[in-house]
Amino acid sequence: MASKAIFSTLRRSLTKPLGGAVSRRHHLSTTSAATASEPYPGDEHAIVMKGVRISGRPLYLDMQSTTPLDPRVFDAMNASSIYDYGNPHSRTHLYGWEAENAVEVARIQVAKLIGASPKEIVFLSGATEANNTVVKGVMHFYKDKKRHVITTQTEHKCVLDSCRHLQQEGRPRVRLEPLMNGGGQERGLRSGTLATQQVVGFGVACELAMKEMEYDEKWIKRLQERLLNGVREKLDGVVVNGSLESRYAGNLNLSFAYVEGESLLMGLKEVAVSSGSACTSASLEPSYVLRALGVDEDMAHTSIRFGIGRFTTEEEIDKAVELTVKQVEKLREMSPLYEMVKEGIDIKNIQWSQH
Amino acid sequence: MVDKGQVIRLCRSLLRAGRQLPDYNIREYAKRRTFDGFRMNKNLTDHSKVEKAYAEGKKQLEVVERVVKVYLAYPPKTKNIMELKLH
Repeated sequence: MASKAIFSTLRRSLTKPLGGAVSRRHHLSTTSAATASEPYPGDEHAIVMKGVRISGRPLYLDMQSTTPLDPRVFDAMNASSIYDYGNPHSRTHLYGWEAENAVEVARIQVAKLIGASPKEIVFLSGATEANNTVVKGVMHFYKDKKRHVITTQTEHKCVLDSCRHLQQEGRPRVRLEPLMNGGGQERGLRSGTLATQQVVGFGVACELAMKEMEYDEKWIKRLQERLLNGVREKLDGVVVNGSLESRYAGNLNLSFAYVEGESLLMGLKEVAVSSGSACTSASLEPSYVLRALGVDEDMAHTSIRFGIGRFTTEEEIDKAVELTVKQVEKLREMSPLYEMVKEGIDIKNIQWSQH
Repeated sequence: MVDKGQVIRLCRSLLRAGRQLPDYNIREYAKRRTFDGFRMNKNLTDHSKVEKAYAEGKKQLEVVERVVKVYLAYPPKTKNIMELKLH
């Protein structure tokens, strides 16, 4: 097909160094860039940072940490950054009114996503502040009374339902003592001038999430299965931490038996992932925290958190599988624990000496 | 009334614009999302739905074209390893 030919031509031109020649003499500046970017001659793709040398930017699988900015959100925020510089709390001029409109549009977008009323949405600085506000704020407000509601953000429907239920029991509504005092913005619940373009971005992101949820869910679930099956095909002793059924598909937290978490991460420098494990000491003795949780001795060492998202590709998953399998096999070869297991020693019956 | 030719031209424009995105992940997403977007709507018969989908597509094309200009103004200094290994 014509487009396939276009794709492959473009792919070739994107990966070949511009100007063709790799030799140092026919260097950079005389070759005019076909794109606005600088040419990448030879192996100067290599990145050296914090004593680590990698051939290129790692593939990103840490979506539970942060996610890349969706270009549609970026686009909306650009326009807002340029024009919405008025203070959304200024009542007296067009700049304020326009900024306020933008904020209220975002408020509706957020509310629609989670099935709330816009009046129930309070904008603040992030999840940490939100958690603090809700837990401390509600507790402080009701400290004189015995009954109080402590909720988690994830149970939003539950929150509304329980509050509505409490309302029916005679409780007027769930009240909050604000964490941030000041000019009384956000109905006094969170004072501070809103950063309009941030709020606009958040709103657009919510609207996008609502629109794309089914499509993204399908894609992410597919990639999660590909990752898990790919790893399980080549390795044994792979445990999924947490329920496989009742989990957000984009989070795949795996433990690899007989492999130490930190060393696995050090070897996976071409994959950007997080370790979910507690810090382990240099000894073979498993972490007391994980042991207390009932995790087996031989599994207590590792957990790697793969974060899959809207922008993750199948090729990235395949590459992650390949690199993970290679690194786990390499570490198992070197692992004294694994050697003991292969010799038939039951790890659970080892008497670790107390420190 | 939107005709088949217009739809095909819009799809091609979206794909062409998406190919210019310098970031590997965003570029691959744009390609996949465009294909899937048009595929999902290919059996629409209701005129108003077709018009709506076409207008939405045109809007997305404008977004991609704007965003590409800004992304290219800040070219990446490093290459993603996915772009280095030839498949």
